[in-house]
Amino acid sequence: MFELLADGLLNVIQLKYLIPLAIGTLIGVVGGALPGITITMTVIMVLPFTFGLEPLQGLAAMIGVYVGGESGGLITATLIGIPGKPSSISTTFDGFPMARKGEPGRAVWLGIWASFFGGLLGGVFLIGATGWLADIALRFGPWEFFALFIFALSMVAGLTEESLAKGLLAGAFGLIITTFGSDPIMSVPRFTMGSQFLVGGFPFLPVLIGIFAFAQLMTDIERARSLAGSDASAGQLVNLAVSQTRVVGEILARPFLLLWSTFIGILIGVLPAIGGSAASVMAYDQAKKLSRHPERFGTGTPEGIIASEASNNANVGGSLVTIMAFGIPGDAVTAVMLGAMTIHGIQSGPLFMSQETTLAYGIFAAYLLAHPIMLAIMAVGARWFLRIVTIPKSILIPMVLVLCVVGAYALNNTMDSVWVLGLFGLVGYGLVKLGFPLAPLILGLILGDQIEVNLVRALMTDSDLWLFVTRPISAFLLALSVLSVVLALWQRRRQRRGPTEPDVDF
Amino acid sequence: MRPTRDTVAGLLGLGLSIWLFALTWGLPKSPFVPIGPDFYPRIVLAVTAILSLALIAGDRLARRRRQPAAPVARNYRLVALTFLVFGVYVLALPALGFRLATLLFLAGLQVLLEPPRSRGRWLTVAAVAIVASFGIFAVFEHYLSVLLPRGAWTGF
Repeated sequence: MFELLADGLLNVIQLKYLIPLAIGTLIGVVGGALPGITITMTVIMVLPFTFGLEPLQGLAAMIGVYVGGESGGLITATLIGIPGKPSSISTTFDGFPMARKGEPGRAVWLGIWASFFGGLLGGVFLIGATGWLADIALRFGPWEFFALFIFALSMVAGLTEESLAKGLLAGAFGLIITTFGSDPIMSVPRFTMGSQFLVGGFPFLPVLIGIFAFAQLMTDIERARSLAGSDASAGQLVNLAVSQTRVVGEILARPFLLLWSTFIGILIGVLPAIGGSAASVMAYDQAKKLSRHPERFGTGTPEGIIASEASNNANVGGSLVTIMAFGIPGDAVTAVMLGAMTIHGIQSGPLFMSQETTLAYGIFAAYLLAHPIMLAIMAVGARWFLRIVTIPKSILIPMVLVLCVVGAYALNNTMDSVWVLGLFGLVGYGLVKLGFPLAPLILGLILGDQIEVNLVRALMTDSDLWLFVTRPISAFLLALSVLSVVLALWQRRRQRRGPTEPDVDF
Repeated sequence: MRPTRDTVAGLLGLGLSIWLFALTWGLPKSPFVPIGPDFYPRIVLAVTAILSLALIAGDRLARRRRQPAAPVARNYRLVALTFLVFGVYVLALPALGFRLATLLFLAGLQVLLEPPRSRGRWLTVAAVAIVASFGIFAVFEHYLSVLLPRGAWTGF
């Protein structure tokens, strides 16, 4: 394993991989710093630029965006109290008060170093666990895969804040979208309405981009009173000078906090379709509960910043594990990466590690190298990135929409994909307005084909339906599915909520 | 009584599943393959229909308990216009070509989202539209080997 990792590192330090990785990290930091532009949106914008690149070049750029994005959000979160992305919300709780007390450099650098350590520890898990989990998944038959995907869907549907029925319905809508086009057994066209284009089904990426980008952007447009530049104080340059040894010492003096926050980040990352925002909020909450001085949280305590930032970067490592070992995306960013891999003809899943070993270790290496690159970018530009928030959304939104169109068009050089993008833009926005969560929808969309193939394969191998519950792993996973639904119902009974609008990112 | 959001969502889900379920009757079956192309969609659509009914029923039951949500100001007109401008842009792409259509789209949408009130802002709108439309085209065509559409009417 170490030999393969060393090969991967030697491979990725070649300029042809290092340049896309560094550019991706820089774009990620900038995208992460921009309030209202999520990492998903940033990776969607970068996506079309990767089509003409080699697979590892494209994936390195996306990993750079992912790692850079998770760290970039902390700058605005600490300095002006506006999180650049949802997973930085809990960084504002202590980062902003610390900066206001006259220690902006300490607040920012605590976040940056916590991201660095959390991310690298997440990398250790990524490298150690992916192959092991993929080996387990290789022993799965169609019954187990079917049960695993159903478990993933039911868990995500159960975790959504809206009603359970809506979470499950959103997942079912995702599955319905995948039934359009040829069936996987006899290639009979289904629901094509006479369209030749639909015989191949709805192309995954335009659907995904349409749903996400429009749901996010249109929600921004309808909520915003003004789309001109943001906070006036943001344009100023801030002095972030601080003793780096002291900041690193502050983090390393709290090894339990760092490890526990990292563990939470990894765990949330591994669970399908739950993103970094859940990880950082949960880690912050845990840090507060386990602290000897919980009353200091919210007033500018370093523990709050460390917990939030270490967990949201470790979450990236966890998300990459599930996509590489099972082909199940840990969040929306890895869902886009999954689509990008498909375009290059790469199938993620249990066979990925054995069939695409060079690429897999290249991904590990890119992930590890993205962290020192992020650190270097922050060292040079952290004080400048604050100026980015002055870019008005009235410029950003049209630019993002154009890049979405380019991404959809460049897939197969037809306008049909662009129309699919627009259609699902309307669908995505409509679903958000109706209160449907998007995470189960996207997961259903990704897993739909696999669920059908494994169900049919299982039944054609043996028509006995009892095999789903008599094979131990399959039975265990299906029991977990039922349990997650029951738990979700029980939890909702305890806390009755009023009508809410779901988060458009996950 | 006005239907609530969940009832509308449930009715839409139910309508979609019934419509697609009806379409599965027309799918051909093979005598050699026991599981036809209609097997899986029917399971999914039946589940969707049941969940939609559950959503409607749950909404009817919860209606008595629910507190009305506080009204929030939303600019739906601007959303509708953005969708419209986007639709016109997609229609114009094959006719005008990427560069021209994108230039007009970028300029138009910037003005729509935040009408410029100063000369400097007008210059920014124009600069963003020109640099982005021609810049994106050049980067994709020359460096990434991705050909973006040329206009059927303009040849540009």
